[in-house]
Amino acid sequence: HFTGIQQFKLQLSLRLVIALYFFAGIGWCKHASTINEVGSCNSNFNDSNPSSSVNEFITEAYFEKHASLIDSDFRGFISKEIPLEFCEVLQDKLEPVPKLSISHRHLIGEGSHRHLSSSIRLEIQPSSKFTLPAHFCDAILVERLPSGVFADPFELQHLLQRGVFTSAAFFGDTNLELPSVRSNRSIVEIHMDIGPDILSGNNNGMEINIEVPLHARYAPLGEHGFSRIEFSAPDLFTGCSFEGKSHKQSCIFLSTNKSLELKAGAVVWDVPCGIKEHTGIVSVVTFFSAIVSALLVVFTAFRYSDTTGCNNLKQM
Amino acid sequence: MATISFRSLMLFSAVLRLFLIIYGEWQDTHMEVRYTDVDYLVFSDAASLMALGKSPYERSTYRYSPLIAFLLIPNALIHRTWGKILFSVSDLLVGYFIRTILKLRGVPENLCTYSVMAWLLNPFTFTIGTRGNCEPIVCAMVLWIIICLMNGNLLHAAFWYGLIVHLRIYPIIYAFPIILTLDQSHFQSGKKPILTDWISSKIQSTNGSGSIKVTDPCHIWVSLKSMFTRGRILFGLISAAVFFFCTGFFFYLYAWEFLHEALLYHLTRTDPRHNFSIYFYHIYLHYEHEFALSEKLISFLPQVMVQLVLIWRFAQDLPFCFFLQTLAFVAFNKVITAQYFVWFFCLLPLVLPWTNMKLKWEGWACILFWIGAQSHWLMWGYLLEFNGKHVFMQLWMASLLFLAANTYVMVTFILRHTSSPVFKQLEHGHSNISTKID
Repeated sequence: HFTGIQQFKLQLSLRLVIALYFFAGIGWCKHASTINEVGSCNSNFNDSNPSSSVNEFITEAYFEKHASLIDSDFRGFISKEIPLEFCEVLQDKLEPVPKLSISHRHLIGEGSHRHLSSSIRLEIQPSSKFTLPAHFCDAILVERLPSGVFADPFELQHLLQRGVFTSAAFFGDTNLELPSVRSNRSIVEIHMDIGPDILSGNNNGMEINIEVPLHARYAPLGEHGFSRIEFSAPDLFTGCSFEGKSHKQSCIFLSTNKSLELKAGAVVWDVPCGIKEHTGIVSVVTFFSAIVSALLVVFTAFRYSDTTGCNNLKQM
Repeated sequence: MATISFRSLMLFSAVLRLFLIIYGEWQDTHMEVRYTDVDYLVFSDAASLMALGKSPYERSTYRYSPLIAFLLIPNALIHRTWGKILFSVSDLLVGYFIRTILKLRGVPENLCTYSVMAWLLNPFTFTIGTRGNCEPIVCAMVLWIIICLMNGNLLHAAFWYGLIVHLRIYPIIYAFPIILTLDQSHFQSGKKPILTDWISSKIQSTNGSGSIKVTDPCHIWVSLKSMFTRGRILFGLISAAVFFFCTGFFFYLYAWEFLHEALLYHLTRTDPRHNFSIYFYHIYLHYEHEFALSEKLISFLPQVMVQLVLIWRFAQDLPFCFFLQTLAFVAFNKVITAQYFVWFFCLLPLVLPWTNMKLKWEGWACILFWIGAQSHWLMWGYLLEFNGKHVFMQLWMASLLFLAANTYVMVTFILRHTSSPVFKQLEHGHSNISTKID
């Protein structure tokens, strides 16, 4: 039984809760300073582990100069801009750089949500040794995603928090809902720590496996029901950093395309797509069904009898 | 059938939800497939941004009022499950409000309890709050508005109505039936409205005697003629003021991003990706070129037609009208996701005491047809999304079947309903006596 007094008490309680919330919220919004920041994910996302060797992102540098991802522009950018930064100083001491190659590359999973798996083989000549003390290197994988496929930046952030990657960056179209025809390409850059063993010469080679979770957009309409997406070879770099006189310095090298060997065939993803031929019949039947259903409800409402005849209400 | 007390039911429901929240945390940590809805992560991220003094719309896919993010700020400050607890408490509040409404109308205790069970023990409802979806808050507000109206508190009803339309937009469809209900014969200054109770409805029904006219054309005409009553004007002004204040305030804070993401997106949303709506494949096949104005209008026609007729026929039986309107709104919408179902699930218990539909077998037919059609759709959806099969045609036909199921449910409820306007006509000089409540 909901008396007037009880109702008044409930209303008063609700008002007090709302007021408390309001003032508490104003207070926290003004003075919040201890909360960990969540990566903002407007058009780009990058997040680094504080202990990551290289905090710069190649793709970030690319997008500072280019508005969108075009393969020829990116290749030109790499050939001109890499090695980056302080490499003239480092190159003598760091040559030869670790040799990176893709030993295996394939798509894992079925359907619209898969993982692009790349196994990177890392080799260093036993005779060569880094002469700089206290340096660290990352293997850097840059995936230029084809149109029709995207990575979820929040998923990447989640993987980062779990320590799957050392650091990651995502640039491009973050609208996860648009079909291919309305979306732009995107690019993912993953950094993986190489580890001190190989740099010190204790280990001549190692393999790093990187799995990037990807999702398919709705493909353009086709004739045969499937749209084929082909993945180009990724770009591999090595990024190294060392403690300079005043601050940490880093250098990024292209793993030379002479050494880059893609042993596996091109990776393809067949995505189901709508068939153009269906357009007419689907539109007609859709609207016809909607109209018929609506008319059924309307007709029933008009025919609705206020009397219930000999049927009784539920007896309990 | 053993009697279950309402107190025991609420206690059990609370424990169940608490268990699911704890289980959800375990599953999120230990399994690849999360229990938590992806929307909850969106809310939490937006709330964290807001706590830092930033716009919640920096979080992409956050398409709600900033109020939702504001409510979830404790997610960042206290614990990430705060929001789930809040939504589950709202879920329990819905159960409490359902009982309140039914008791106000004199529904017997057992029938009340079983009706409330239709919400509290519905798997859709107890998973939606515990997975982190905010719809229970909206449902609680809708029921609170009904309670305010039943108690004659127009100002409160108007305030919450303006707020809920700001939060979710879809309750705008309730505007007309509410306005029609605010008739001078039901609401008079200084007098509490008199409610039609369940017992008198039953007596009239068993007597087969004359119908309580739900909404006859003559009544509508009289209502339209005297449209601008004090109650209606007040309700309209206050609810509009609250809506525009909230909208204006957040526009001042967050500018066009708020307006686009929280309002315009929902008004213009067409999603080519597969969902329960019959329109999804049509939209996908036409996505490469813009829709003509005529195409857009045609797709609205069934929705508008059904809404207007339902309002015209059932406005006086407010809970029943709300239920049918919401079910129709969801069924004929261009986009349908599972969270929309709770919008009418919270209203279903309010109409159950007035239906002549027996569980065996009409009730079971509705339940099995609706769930079966949905499961059928989900099967094809799984094959498309997780197995990569080309089943667009089959999936679209499954959505047609789901529309058929929704239509069947609507038609069955209409045919088996005993009309019961919520409010009785007041006469001048009558004392303010509410209907007798058990």
